[in-house]
Amino acid sequence: MNLLINGEPYHLEVTTLKEVVSSFGLQEGLVVTEIDGTIIDRSKWANTNVEEGMKIELVHFVGGG
Amino acid sequence: MGDKLTIAGIQLSSRLFLGTGRYPNPYIQNQAIEASEAEVLTFAIRRVNLNEPGEDAILQHIEGKSFRYLPNTSGATTAEEAIRIARLAKASGLSDWIKVEISNNEKTLMPDPIETLKATEVLANEGFIVLPYTSDDPGLCYKLQEAGAAAVMPGGSPIGTGLGILNPYNIEMITEQLTVPVIVDAGLGNASDVTKAMELGAEGVLLNTAIAKARNPVKMAEAVKYAIYAGRLSYLAGRIPKKKYATASSPIL
Repeated sequence: MNLLINGEPYHLEVTTLKEVVSSFGLQEGLVVTEIDGTIIDRSKWANTNVEEGMKIELVHFVGGG
Repeated sequence: MGDKLTIAGIQLSSRLFLGTGRYPNPYIQNQAIEASEAEVLTFAIRRVNLNEPGEDAILQHIEGKSFRYLPNTSGATTAEEAIRIARLAKASGLSDWIKVEISNNEKTLMPDPIETLKATEVLANEGFIVLPYTSDDPGLCYKLQEAGAAAVMPGGSPIGTGLGILNPYNIEMITEQLTVPVIVDAGLGNASDVTKAMELGAEGVLLNTAIAKARNPVKMAEAVKYAIYAGRLSYLAGRIPKKKYATASSPIL
């Protein structure tokens, strides 16, 4: 499936948002997700199916003042 | 000191809010955090770098006691962008505190007053604990308080400049007029700047570059801790009035 993740095109064999996050080896507790501009709570990742062409944002805390 | 800073009903163990950017490495950062005794740490929210997912996940490196997280909305140029970042930060489940930081001037990073006020109002109504970074305008700071800010954070001077407090008169007016805590954020360069902020009635300070980029960040963190104590005590003790001519402190024969 083709997805636009953090502005870049990716081809991933996934069905859920949870699989998207784990396919990058990210620690789940530290990542926040948005699909097409809507925040998806971590508790709903496993039940959220991704579809062709969706825009997904994966963000986290970084150092800052 | 028994005199503690309380924000939104939460009593904090330290009057220092410490930024987590620009340290030489995570080891020095952790040592500086420990030496500073800060409880509140600030962070930014950014896209994960999917090519190097682990490289900047700051929370992997923060060790020790439990901290209170104050994410910021840096990078936002409008209220709308700041509100989005704030909601993302809250969805982390780590904090409902947010430092509203909105600027559209890359050279000065000076906050946009109109957008900052808008975002503060919306986020406070949504239940966030909002701490806006603002310019040192007393009227604006008062309006931010009215809009629901839990604390107001005027800058002493532009972010990262180390120019100290450029307008002490304004900072003092702000601390006199507001009932919510005033945290002087941005521009402080060393321990004496911190003491000055506290003597002007600030309830706390937010530092990042002054510690992260000091020749010795850990020593500066410790110096700042004492500077806060000294400044707060001096403020509570009350300075003497300034006079033009001498008054002998030894008895006159």
